[in-house]
Amino acid sequence: MSEARQKVVIVPCSGIGKTYGSVSRLAGYVVVEDMRPEDTQLAALSLLVMGDEASRDLLARNPAITIDGCKLACATKMVRESGGMVTQDFAVLDVYRRYKQLKPQGISELNEGGERLAHALAEEIVGVVDHIIKGSGGTEHRGGTEHRGGREHSQGGENG
Amino acid sequence: MPDFIEFTVDKFTFQVATDRLYTDAGVWARLVGGRVQIGLSDFLQQRSGDVAFAEVKPAGTRLDYNDEVAVVETIKVDISLGSPVSGTIMEINPTLETAPDVINQDPYGGGWLALLNATDWEIDRARLLTPQAYFEKIKQLAEEETR
Repeated sequence: MSEARQKVVIVPCSGIGKTYGSVSRLAGYVVVEDMRPEDTQLAALSLLVMGDEASRDLLARNPAITIDGCKLACATKMVRESGGMVTQDFAVLDVYRRYKQLKPQGISELNEGGERLAHALAEEIVGVVDHIIKGSGGTEHRGGTEHRGGREHSQGGENG
Repeated sequence: MPDFIEFTVDKFTFQVATDRLYTDAGVWARLVGGRVQIGLSDFLQQRSGDVAFAEVKPAGTRLDYNDEVAVVETIKVDISLGSPVSGTIMEINPTLETAPDVINQDPYGGGWLALLNATDWEIDRARLLTPQAYFEKIKQLAEEETR
């Protein structure tokens, strides 16, 4: 029996009613559903907060990329508290500072700037996903994105 | 390092530095070497959220009291800040260009916005709130908002 193929777990902010939370979730969907469906899987922060065993198990077996909507960094903190390893954490605000023209507005419906910012963030995340997957001997993607953003974490070097 | 008076509402603690004066809107001003340094109060920065960008009017801009001196964009709002003094902008905090979140991290220190040559500091200071008066104002506001 072959071992399950490693995936990168994407954990976005759960800030319902917050523009930056909406950007983080859209970026997560774009990565997982459109750009790298075979290499990534979403985990819901709300399930981690509830101590969901399946989510904790997923994080125990796979590297995680977190997307935080604000400096409270709930996604990053919760993944660590759940025993997961955050390979890279992205903050929407940091990405926005690099794309000042893409001002996000709206909550349930993001404006064009917010949607474009989410896609820009997704591109940066994909760069990290490809790096991780390549390192684990997984799928090789052509035309991968240069990785520019986020904070990289070495294994075992972080303390919430 | 300035002294502070502070209060806590819910999980938030707000500090008011006692070595400067304040506008109603939460812009502080203090005399530094003959010039007036300005910035955002701790209450204003916490209430407004994480700063994305801070754009101060260019050096050389002449302002009357309460003219817009800067616009601060946060994850929640865009705030237009009125100048606490009349005068000319002489220097802008260079850190704001690369790390505007310094306003959140150190509102009374490294997060200052600009240095101005005040036209008449004595007139302007009479219009501003003392630390205690500003403290009472925001404490009341914060307590009302949590009811």
